[in-house]
Amino acid sequence: MAESQAPTAAAGKAEPNHAVRIASIWLVLAIVADLLIYFVWQPHLPPGRMSDNARGQQFDITVMAVLCAPVLLGVWTYFGYALVNWRRRAGDTEDGPPIEGNGKVQAAWITVTSLIVLSLAAFGTYELIVPAGAGGGEGPVPIWKPSGVVTTAAWTPGSTHTLVVQAIGQQWNWTYRFPQFGGMETTGLELPINTPVEFHVTSLDVIHSFWAYQLGVKADANPGVDNVAFVKPLQLGQFVVRCNELCGIWHGAMFDYGNVVTASQFQSWATSIQTKERANGTLAALPPYATTYDPTEISQLGQAWAKLGIVGAGGYYYPGPQTGTPGDPVSP
Amino acid sequence: MAIEIEPEKAQGPSGPVHAAPGNSKPWWARPAVHTGLIGAVIGYIIGHWLGNLISPATAGVSSFSTGLSDVRNWPLVLGYVFGTIGWLAGLGVFNDLGRLMLGKPLPDAEHAPAGGVAKYFRYTLDHKVVGIQYLFGMTTYFLTGGLFAMAIRTELLSPTYHVLNASQYLMVVGEHSTMMMMMMSSVVLGPFGQFFAPLMIGSKRMAFPRIEALAFWLTPAAYVILLSGILLGGFPTGWTGYEPLATQAGPGMDTYALAFGLMGISLILAGFNLIVTYINYRAPGMRWSRLPMFVWSMFTVSFLQVLSVPVLVAGLYMMLMDRTAQTAFFTNQLGGSSYLWEDVFWFFGHPEVYILALPGFGVVSEIIPVFTRKPLFGYRVAAAGMIGVSLLSFFVWQHHLFDSGINPDMRPLFMLTTELISIPTGFIYLVAAGTFWKAKITFSVPMLFAIAMYFNFLIGGVSGVFLSDVPADVTEHGSFFVMAHFHYTIMGGLIFAFMAGIYYWLPKMLGVKMNEKLGKWHFWTMFITFNSTFLPLFALGMMGMPRRVFEYQRNLQTLNDWVSISSYLLGVSLLIFLINLIMSTLVWRVKESGNPWRSRGLEWQVSSPPPPENFERVPVVLSHPYLYGVKDAPPVADLNPPVGVVASAYASAGLEA
Amino acid sequence: MSEATATPPAGLNADMEEAGFYHECALNGSWTASRLAMGGLSFLFGSFLFAYFYLRSLNSGGRWEGSGYHAPSMIMGTVMMLMVLISAGINYAAVQRIKAGHKKAWQIGGVIALLLGLATISMQIFELLNLPFYPASSGFASVFVGFYPVFIIVVLSAMIWLETLLARSRFIPGIAFVEQPPTYEEAFVVQRFQASVSGFTAIWNYLAVIAILFWFLFYVI
Ligand SMILES: [Cu+2]
Repeated sequence: MAESQAPTAAAGKAEPNHAVRIASIWLVLAIVADLLIYFVWQPHLPPGRMSDNARGQQFDITVMAVLCAPVLLGVWTYFGYALVNWRRRAGDTEDGPPIEGNGKVQAAWITVTSLIVLSLAAFGTYELIVPAGAGGGEGPVPIWKPSGVVTTAAWTPGSTHTLVVQAIGQQWNWTYRFPQFGGMETTGLELPINTPVEFHVTSLDVIHSFWAYQLGVKADANPGVDNVAFVKPLQLGQFVVRCNELCGIWHGAMFDYGNVVTASQFQSWATSIQTKERANGTLAALPPYATTYDPTEISQLGQAWAKLGIVGAGGYYYPGPQTGTPGDPVSP
Repeated sequence: MAIEIEPEKAQGPSGPVHAAPGNSKPWWARPAVHTGLIGAVIGYIIGHWLGNLISPATAGVSSFSTGLSDVRNWPLVLGYVFGTIGWLAGLGVFNDLGRLMLGKPLPDAEHAPAGGVAKYFRYTLDHKVVGIQYLFGMTTYFLTGGLFAMAIRTELLSPTYHVLNASQYLMVVGEHSTMMMMMMSSVVLGPFGQFFAPLMIGSKRMAFPRIEALAFWLTPAAYVILLSGILLGGFPTGWTGYEPLATQAGPGMDTYALAFGLMGISLILAGFNLIVTYINYRAPGMRWSRLPMFVWSMFTVSFLQVLSVPVLVAGLYMMLMDRTAQTAFFTNQLGGSSYLWEDVFWFFGHPEVYILALPGFGVVSEIIPVFTRKPLFGYRVAAAGMIGVSLLSFFVWQHHLFDSGINPDMRPLFMLTTELISIPTGFIYLVAAGTFWKAKITFSVPMLFAIAMYFNFLIGGVSGVFLSDVPADVTEHGSFFVMAHFHYTIMGGLIFAFMAGIYYWLPKMLGVKMNEKLGKWHFWTMFITFNSTFLPLFALGMMGMPRRVFEYQRNLQTLNDWVSISSYLLGVSLLIFLINLIMSTLVWRVKESGNPWRSRGLEWQVSSPPPPENFERVPVVLSHPYLYGVKDAPPVADLNPPVGVVASAYASAGLEA
Repeated sequence: MSEATATPPAGLNADMEEAGFYHECALNGSWTASRLAMGGLSFLFGSFLFAYFYLRSLNSGGRWEGSGYHAPSMIMGTVMMLMVLISAGINYAAVQRIKAGHKKAWQIGGVIALLLGLATISMQIFELLNLPFYPASSGFASVFVGFYPVFIIVVLSAMIWLETLLARSRFIPGIAFVEQPPTYEEAFVVQRFQASVSGFTAIWNYLAVIAILFWFLFYVI
């Protein structure tokens, strides 16, 4: 059908070198895009620069954008060029050139994509291991920890000792416990700047996920599991904590705010709460600090509540009357 | 299950031909949808009664297991199970099984259906009828899911809740996501896979027509059961059904598990039939190296379905056992584990993602050679890519669990496998690029949708690379970024390919053309509004908006409103499609009997719609389907081979084996 | 399946050729289908295998077996496992007999295999209704109570299949298994019957292996 095609291109009007044209357009676009991404866009990319993890993730996202932009642009340039130049003219019923494959092109493609992919995997592994898990949940026994930090029974400002914070998810709010402050429990979260923080994330009912967006921390809160994540806040300011795993009807409302403050501000905030909780008996009533809690075991606090006739804690685990029909909105 | 692989049910080639029994009966006395409905009601009542009978027996167990779930689930679950069996019995699914158990020969499957519209409402064994049933079924399911999506976007017009309350919102999210995930797995494999499986490999038959028809008739049951969840308060878990939330949830959760499970069985059966058909029923000369790419995609997808979906069915069964028989598979305090669900679910869930992607690759690979008038570039690479993707897809599931605390030390490995899978996936772009090189491109409606599929899937694929990187995934996981990513691959990839397939193959399936002008309107509006709906979601996710929330930061409202309005326009675009589909097939009916696209595909070598037997004789395939522009290329097949050619082909094949 | 190949005679016409072609397809399809079914079933049973080892290794809440654990009856479990095993063995031996033309021998063997299979199902249901533990009492109990209903359903399906084969065998003359029947149509019927029997035998042997495997998990270790 199409005998007058490809091999005779030289005989007619000189065919332009399409490959060179496409490559030149692509090269210009790719360089411009990469420069813009690296120098202009990078500082604005999420999740910001509030902690070591956040900076690492921002750098990761930038590197991938720098690698992916030329890929996207390459495909777009090529197909854009093809759609503009190689359309069928009206009245042309001939078929195109019968190219069924090209060993060199195929080999080059496979080589290049494999190289990109393998270098991305190597890069991602490095970025995961070196900054101690990159802010992701690492299970109960983290194998990648920040180097040279010491965890002590008590935490004092000015030291480089790790601050241990337990984040407990339940339907539908977060509470925090500080084992270095007598196991005190708070509903808000303050963190000292430039201090390594070790989060222990767990849940009392269903699966939640602790996502401190600006800090670049995300760890699932599983019932009965201690999930550890590390972070070192580097800037003062407010951050958002959201639940990131669907946990029931008020999942959308399960968020609060935390603050990164100076070490001395943190110390006074923490000690004041500890003092107050010791005074009003909360510390004594709380179950002893543990990495996980079994909500079917009624704690001292729960027993005190039960005496007062207060039952139920949002979840259905506590024995007692269940009011309302399933699916009805329940106030948190 | 084992009984259904029984090969003797396949139609006898020349066994004693029995007139289909009951053909002489009036229409209302023959099994069809109405008798199925009666069966379903009777079955439900029996199951419900049985469930009430069982409940007291497990009530004591319930108090032991600290009241984890509601023992009143028995009547509901058994009602639905028996209702489904009754529905199938009413449709006449078990009639042939009864005949077999009495030792009677089966009526001839192929010749039983008599013409008329009624055959589309019956348990009909002709794969062409099943394909059309699937086409209209899938369109219905897709548009239903789409309406739920628009309800979600309506709620997200405002950063706090205003239209739907918190539980209604989650109900709508659950219905939308589960409907789309379970049904759209069959959106290409159902209509086109079933219709064209034998046509493309030159067969007059399917291996197991009864299993094929059963696979379709399970889908309406799954659809109704899933929707009935609305009456029961919905389910709060989305399509992932995470435990122990699912154990805690109300009776709507049972509809999720049952509907998804039924659809899973349907997928297993459909894939099972296709694999056996492709391996054994290829016409003489239809070598593996001549198989159309669409068949390769259906073949690999079928393997994913037969091997990975049983794991989902097992997981859903465990969920139902936890909720009825009071087992504790997923309850940590009682020796179970919520991690077990996450592992089992995603072990199915990742192959599922490719069950949704590969059919799209197959459709566009089939279409571009026709409209570029060139051979498919790198045929072997394309086939290898599909096989590679399906193999690797079994080894990546933990990338859904990077932050979960499960096997954290395995994350580098799963990061590697996840990134490796982009190599075979990238082959489809190599194939497309080579095919477009110096091509003669015709911008027909199917071609436009195919090109758009490449455009959309590229964005979906590249964003997937971002997600595979564990540090970046810490920010992106579970956010709208992921949501945008998989909508680009599924909606932008699979659904665009589905549309391409409809415009390309409808003339073949029904002998009528889709209106081209409306088709172009449909294409351009859908392409623009799709991108306008889903591109901003990447930004929303990066800015910290998690999935499945009805509340978000106030500064994200502008983008969310933009997305919501775009989604309404996307709905309008799909309305154009619906009008075009209904008017073109039912009202205008512009006849198209030949080969409008000048395709070399074997399915286009017979008349449109294909004759009842597909081919007059067993064809002998002579060449590759994509030899466009090849000088002196032989015709794709000899449709009327001389007597003895076919016989010698299978006789020699038999001797070799 | 190759032994079942029908060589076309000289006076071949198109209809016969096509009939032979699809007959061949159906025979090969039968082989593919039984093997593919084993693949799918392996993933189904594999899920329970995974659940077993996963929950066993996690031992969450110390309740893989837990306090007050009672093992299921070793005697019942072993008897049920052996019944499946003997049923598969008898069927396998009987299939060898039918190949030699002894239809009656296979029918007797098949009936015994069928009865043993049904007896196993009844006994399994009885055991599930009289367990010494509650389903929720431990991870072990959950996997046990979850697995066996699935196994019962699969075994029941296999037994229905066996029943259809026995029902059909009545109409097939025994001589047809050793000598070429007079017409091709009859030869096809016999060959497809044989293909179905060998597909069933493969699946039933496979299920016997599964029965041993889970007996080992639930009763031995
Ligand atoms: Cu939550």
